[in-house]
Amino acid sequence: MLFRRIFQFLIVYIIGIAFLLMIKMALSLSNYVIPGVPLIVETAGQVFKDYFFDVMSTMSVTVLGQCISIVMAFTVGIAGRKSSWMGSFIKVTAYNIQAYPIVALAPIIFILLGDGFIPRLLIASMICYFPLLLSVLGIMATPVKDIEHFYIATGRMRWQLEVKIRAFENLNKLVTVISGSATLAMAGTIVAEFIAANAGIGYSIRVALYQSDLAKILVALFMIGIIISIYQGILETMGEQIKIRWSVSKQGEAL
Amino acid sequence: MHLECNNLNFTYPDSDITVINNLSFSMDTPGFNALFGPSGVGKTSLAKIIANSNSRSGDEIMTEHIDRILYSYNLERLPGWSSTGNHLNKVTPPEKLSLKEQLIRVFELQDVLDSRFSQLSMGQQNRINLIRYLLQDFDLLILDESLANVDEKLRETIILAIKDLFAGKMFLYISHNLIEVSKLCSQILVFGKSSENKDCSMIKGQDYKKGYQLNKQSLDITMLEIMNAF
Repeated sequence: MLFRRIFQFLIVYIIGIAFLLMIKMALSLSNYVIPGVPLIVETAGQVFKDYFFDVMSTMSVTVLGQCISIVMAFTVGIAGRKSSWMGSFIKVTAYNIQAYPIVALAPIIFILLGDGFIPRLLIASMICYFPLLLSVLGIMATPVKDIEHFYIATGRMRWQLEVKIRAFENLNKLVTVISGSATLAMAGTIVAEFIAANAGIGYSIRVALYQSDLAKILVALFMIGIIISIYQGILETMGEQIKIRWSVSKQGEAL
Repeated sequence: MHLECNNLNFTYPDSDITVINNLSFSMDTPGFNALFGPSGVGKTSLAKIIANSNSRSGDEIMTEHIDRILYSYNLERLPGWSSTGNHLNKVTPPEKLSLKEQLIRVFELQDVLDSRFSQLSMGQQNRINLIRYLLQDFDLLILDESLANVDEKLRETIILAIKDLFAGKMFLYISHNLIEVSKLCSQILVFGKSSENKDCSMIKGQDYKKGYQLNKQSLDITMLEIMNAF
């Protein structure tokens, strides 16, 4: 799972670089506009260490932001799963808010809170929260009738059991949604850093942009891609482990 | 114990097709009674209406001494996160532990209690599902093809054991097996084909129990009556 993710990213990245080099050759562009492979490698050697720590800084905000989003999405999703007034209100509100591009609110957050850790975290959480919430709401609001019928008919159904049944039956979807939301959280963090923060790989990309240094930007993109692929791979592996532990019998036979 | 249905009509929501039209019948005896008829005539719809009769207003479904109605059906599932044995233990009231052991023996499920539900055959799944219903408090239990995919011999053994162990309870058994219904059930509500405008009719079954002598001629007559009724 992990290596497949990294491999997929490398293919896309190499195709992207090849495309740029083709444009460079076709239009006879200088290294200043589109750097050649030797310059990219040389730049990578120069900025690798700094960018690694920048990406890790971004990653820490991403992970924390995603964790907050997951907790919030599950809390609100579980509360909003019922077809009661409150449940309908939560669903309608979530659908309407997610239709608005949250990233457009980033400048307001920076004006109110300034640069720093909290605005980055807030924007990362907000960007990955609403898609997560919609998925969790969809899963939690859909009854698994052929399992739930017995517990409802015999008066044994509790909200914890209902949530457990629906989560178990939709474990694949949940794992996919959570690992997919990592990209959103990362994108949110980078956008926040790009706009106004003073740390992280988004901030470094902004500096490279002001220097018109495409080589640095390409190195930054490479590092972002590798790190997010590893993170998503780890999330998917964790999801697989949870599925195996939850659904394999004592004898170790898979379902 | 009395179950009565008066002039019941049922149309599927958002549809003009009347599934049940002016249906009236009554069942007075505990034991195994049946709903019989071809697919699509409203057996399951009637079963669900009876199961939810406590929450319905009106006098279309009347019951006496039937406080708790349970509805079980084929294709129900147990959660997959632990073994079927664990699930059974969790839903078994303490006073019914010995009954549980007895049912597991009769239903021949001793060897699958450590397995997950999805690892069982369809017949085993239906049997384990039925056991958990039998372990609950009920006055009327509706079995909507709850013994589907169970071989005939074991199915008869199970039904005879249920009749023996739950003599004071009422069961409504939905099945497409003519011989089984004719032989084992007491009152059989036969649904006529709506395309031929046939009404429902109540036919007396042989109500065979352990140790009884089955009159094969009477069984043939019952089967003929049922066949003529739909």
